Amino acid sequence: MEIQSNDERAFKRVYEEVFPILMRVVYHVTNNQDLAEEICQEAFIRFFDKGMEFATLDDAKYWLIRVSKNLAINQVKRKAREMGMVEKLKKFPAMHANTSDGAQVLVEKETRKLVQEAIDQLPEKFRLVIVMKEYTDMDYKQIASVLHISESNVKVRVYRARKMLESILSQE
Amino acid sequence: MCVDDELLNTYLDDELQEPWKTQVQEHLSYCNACRQRLEQLRSLHLKLYDARLRDSDIKTRQDRVYAYFEKTRFPSANKKMHIFRKKIQIKLVPALITSAAAFVVVFIGAFMLFGTQPQMGQEILPGVVEPINSAHIRQVTDVQKPSLDMFSLEQIVQHLDAMGYAVKLELKAVTPLE
Repeated sequence: MEIQSNDERAFKRVYEEVFPILMRVVYHVTNNQDLAEEICQEAFIRFFDKGMEFATLDDAKYWLIRVSKNLAINQVKRKAREMGMVEKLKKFPAMHANTSDGAQVLVEKETRKLVQEAIDQLPEKFRLVIVMKEYTDMDYKQIASVLHISESNVKVRVYRARKMLESILSQE
Repeated sequence: MCVDDELLNTYLDDELQEPWKTQVQEHLSYCNACRQRLEQLRSLHLKLYDARLRDSDIKTRQDRVYAYFEKTRFPSANKKMHIFRKKIQIKLVPALITSAAAFVVVFIGAFMLFGTQPQMGQEILPGVVEPINSAHIRQVTDVQKPSLDMFSLEQIVQHLDAMGYAVKLELKAVTPLE
């Protein structure tokens, strides 16, 4: 079934299926939820306004991931510095307010934060590949087609990204 | 010789093709060190999975961005139609049901109060007016008033007999025939 990106019903179908995946990918690449939301919105605006045709929903999904990945890379350097500071300030008192939820919740949050910060430290080309591998249902071949790199390159990057993550997390 | 780390990662992601996949499985069945290394990689994978952005965080943002599209991209006519349809569904249908119910109550109530009389029915039912033509018109003067002279003695007696009268005939005088 073909997908016309500016048809309201088709758009809604793609949006419901792809938005959560897109949001996860962009968030784990940028480490900033507000920025991720902004980038996802921009990607879907382009998707709608261009009025393109896609053969399958997966094709639409790959297009959206590719566009938002590029937007994320372009904006992350400029915005992450200024917004990252605001985000940290926002998160800090909230974490203290949640201490009543129990130590377990705090430990879980702390672990998640540490993992995300470790991802954040990875060089861009490794970060993109590992985020797509861990937070979407795409296989090596699909990741390769989205990033326009070879499948064996994806394989090597996944392996090296995991090695780096292990090393960063073991230091903390 | 043990399995290298890159191959183990590929195996973990279920991307290793045959015959290497079977070879790695065989090796893992007897090599403790490689099994432990695979477990380490699996635990890292689970740690990353646990750190994923939660569905609840996504949902709020998903709804907000969609609201933006409803406002800016989708034709406003559709939105108005929705409101219009909703109004009909909510207001018109209950109103119809209420008025139908009220009508039934009044109708049944009227029958219970006044009962059914055949005359009422005749009064209520509209009369059928026959079209006027010459066959239906009769001059009043043509109609003769009935008088006793029109009937024979025998007919009169039979009529009275049928009505239950006891008839007694008496001859007072007899005039001989000429």
